[in-house]
Amino acid sequence: MGFSVSGSTAIIFVGAALAFTTIYPAAANGFEQVSDARQASADDLLAQQNTDIAVALTTYNATTDTLTVVVTNTGETSLAVSDTDLLVDNAYTTGSRSVAGDASTDLWLPGENLTVSVSSVTARPDRVRVVSEHGVTDGRAV
Amino acid sequence: MASVSVSHMILFIASLIVAASVAGTMTNGVDQLSGAIQDQSLNMADTVRSNVEIISDPAEPVYDRNGQGNVELLVKNTGSDAPPPDASSVDVLLDGRYEANVDVTLVDGAGGRWRSGDVVRLTIPADNLASGDHRVKVVVDGDSEVFRFRT
Repeated sequence: MGFSVSGSTAIIFVGAALAFTTIYPAAANGFEQVSDARQASADDLLAQQNTDIAVALTTYNATTDTLTVVVTNTGETSLAVSDTDLLVDNAYTTGSRSVAGDASTDLWLPGENLTVSVSSVTARPDRVRVVSEHGVTDGRAV
Repeated sequence: MASVSVSHMILFIASLIVAASVAGTMTNGVDQLSGAIQDQSLNMADTVRSNVEIISDPAEPVYDRNGQGNVELLVKNTGSDAPPPDASSVDVLLDGRYEANVDVTLVDGAGGRWRSGDVVRLTIPADNLASGDHRVKVVVDGDSEVFRFRT
């Protein structure tokens, strides 16, 4: 009788050990994924809080049909030029961009001016809106 | 005497079978549970990572811009996940009504993903929207944003 009790205890023990080896990595990985995501989200929030932009100047030249928008990075984060969006009267517009005269850079550092020139604007627009990569926005009437 | 050892043998085998079936049921259950934990944590991580902003200018018209009776909104991904830029990842409520035929187009960014910093255009069909105040709610992976405008 004693042998059957120890035999079945051993089988159940092995089963419990197998079950533990399955659930432990799943739980640990899951916890790590969620905490990584929380960390990324907190980093994004911090960057967003440190970001600020201000539209310094908008000029429309009716003879050349060109709209020029100058935006200053007044925050403390370096922004990506390619992830900065310009809306002219709510229409998504790309235009040609340069930071402090340099058209090849993608970095828009704190204190620097981003100049966006949009050609073929046939009528004077009402408003422009600039959105930075973290969603911080500034707008201005032309 | 022989009958005693035979019955002992039968009890021994029976106890082993019972123990094996208990262990098997337990490992099966735990297997399913760990699969569910994995799925749930992936979903949870996606929900935490997702963050979008409606960047359209409320001071400018968003309704009927092309004369086709649509509400057009620009939405930027400011989170760190990359959902596909189609209607499956975006839910839209216009004045509290669920809109099923929303068109989602990637306007900035390449590839088939709506990456961080990229912008999509939502075209919401809304024929004969009454003039007055309106409200659009956009939900992406659990993150919701509200946009109010006037027609």
